[in-house]
Amino acid sequence: MARLEVAIVMGLPGFALDVAWSGDEGVVALFGPSGAGKSLTLNCLAGLTRPDRGRIVVDGRVFFDAATDVEVPPQQRRVGYVFQSYALFPHLTVAENVGFGLRDRPRRLRQERTGVVLERLGLNGLGARRPGELSGGQRQRVALGRALAIDPALLLLDEPLSALDAPMRAGLRDELRRVLRDWGIPAVIVTHDFAEAYRLGDRIVVYEAGRVIQSALCSELLWQPASEAVARIMGIRNILQGTVIKATPDRIQLRWRGLTLEAVNSPTRAYLPPPETPIAFFVRPEYVRLIRKDRGAPDPGHHMNLMSGRIVDETDFGTTWALRLRLDEPGPPAQGEYDLEVEVPRMVYEILEIARDRRWQLSIHRGSIQVLPG
Amino acid sequence: MSREYLDALALSVQVALLATLLNAGLGIPLAYLLARRVFRGKTLIDLLVTLPLVLPPTVTGYYLIVLLGRRGWLGAPLYEVTGWTVAFTWYAAVIAATVMALPLLVRTARAAIESVDRDLEKAAYTLGRPEWRTALEVTLPLAGRGILAGLVLAFARALGEFGATLMLAGNIPGRTQTVPLAIYTAVQTGEAAEALFLVATLTALSCVVLVAAGRLGARAA
Repeated sequence: MARLEVAIVMGLPGFALDVAWSGDEGVVALFGPSGAGKSLTLNCLAGLTRPDRGRIVVDGRVFFDAATDVEVPPQQRRVGYVFQSYALFPHLTVAENVGFGLRDRPRRLRQERTGVVLERLGLNGLGARRPGELSGGQRQRVALGRALAIDPALLLLDEPLSALDAPMRAGLRDELRRVLRDWGIPAVIVTHDFAEAYRLGDRIVVYEAGRVIQSALCSELLWQPASEAVARIMGIRNILQGTVIKATPDRIQLRWRGLTLEAVNSPTRAYLPPPETPIAFFVRPEYVRLIRKDRGAPDPGHHMNLMSGRIVDETDFGTTWALRLRLDEPGPPAQGEYDLEVEVPRMVYEILEIARDRRWQLSIHRGSIQVLPG
Repeated sequence: MSREYLDALALSVQVALLATLLNAGLGIPLAYLLARRVFRGKTLIDLLVTLPLVLPPTVTGYYLIVLLGRRGWLGAPLYEVTGWTVAFTWYAAVIAATVMALPLLVRTARAAIESVDRDLEKAAYTLGRPEWRTALEVTLPLAGRGILAGLVLAFARALGEFGATLMLAGNIPGRTQTVPLAIYTAVQTGEAAEALFLVATLTALSCVVLVAAGRLGARAA
């Protein structure tokens, strides 16, 4: 039985939530656009909102079961909740905030536990401060500490990094990851940023408009989005439309822009559409290869899925350059003004003198073309 | 200065203090319920509490007589059992002042409670705190400044209450005659010096209350 089993059906004015997922892994990231029902799910897990129907089980404890009319109040769930705004009590000190969930324990135990938590989160010496006197990162740690102090069975984090400035986010994301691993408490984290979901989660549950459109391990999701909808929400570039020529359990041949491309079929769940079926696929910009002109003609055995085109647009991202290429094939380009986006490291951009040379041959390995089942 | 005007002053302060105390006991829980709960009859209660703010005080006083007078809905059974009626006693002045001041406290305190971030309460719930303790430890302390402002308004309103008091408690010197009633009597009987003394005292008292509240409010922030 999974450690976390969630099934929630809930109708609100203008919005319906109908989700079911489970997770055995340490950290489950609920990922999707704003308004998809992620935070509402978190509220149901904490017992702050009552679903219409469904069942919520954490580590064998039934928190909610509409069928048997079980509803454990939030006070008895022992679930730590880190709010988006942190929701620190502004009239209490840092130590009082962290010790808030321990007020019913003897004074000495409470102080001891508060001290340990402050120490482990690097908040030593800040115990007497008020939340208003802390930096964004310190506030996040106090909010975490307050939730962790009660030794929760489950930790819930609602967009924990969104209250911070962009430059601090990456650093605090890694710090948060370290804290989650370090304390080893199962957690559910809500985010609309895929990089955050990927860095923090072991499993990613993708939400869209009140439904789960995929639940998968991080690595699996990155390479095998279940559908075009998932790929779009993940912010994947070069999502393209082709037609199937032939599909076998290990290869899919498809036609796109007059070219014949070969892709690897999904090793876990082979997809066998009949010929002429429209099919979506994507090519990660960083996996398109530019063919060097100083090394002789490309070898068709080594360079598969060959094509040629010219750069029509480019953007400097500092460590990489994003190039937009229009292929030489006739007909309108696949993505407006261009067909493919290609990302190259800055060093490659400089060595190949791409700034000067705008015409290139490209090759895409069959393993780098990901087919998206419809 | 005649004795009865000093009595009026003492009675006014006593009535206003007691009315403020009753307001705190009744009005703060009421403001919390109106701000945070959804229940049947909420709109009706809100309406009843607010009505004295817009009705002429004499109309409110009239309703109080219908309710509490010797032949009133509650007053008659009370009189039958105990032989005592609240009408024309100084308690009646307290009741009238309480009812008239209640909407000021409830409205101010309710707005202050509604402005407290609900996530703070939710956080307290997940940390094991039941609702009533959350209200005492989180919501009310954070709404404290607004509640205090509401209590000051209520005290000032109770101090100046005239119409409803006259209806339910009458204007009996030494027993139910508060300062506003005494001022009215003094003016009616041509005792200009006494009227001026009472007017000045009431004005000064109100100023002291407002300044003190301002200081308290600033410290609470």
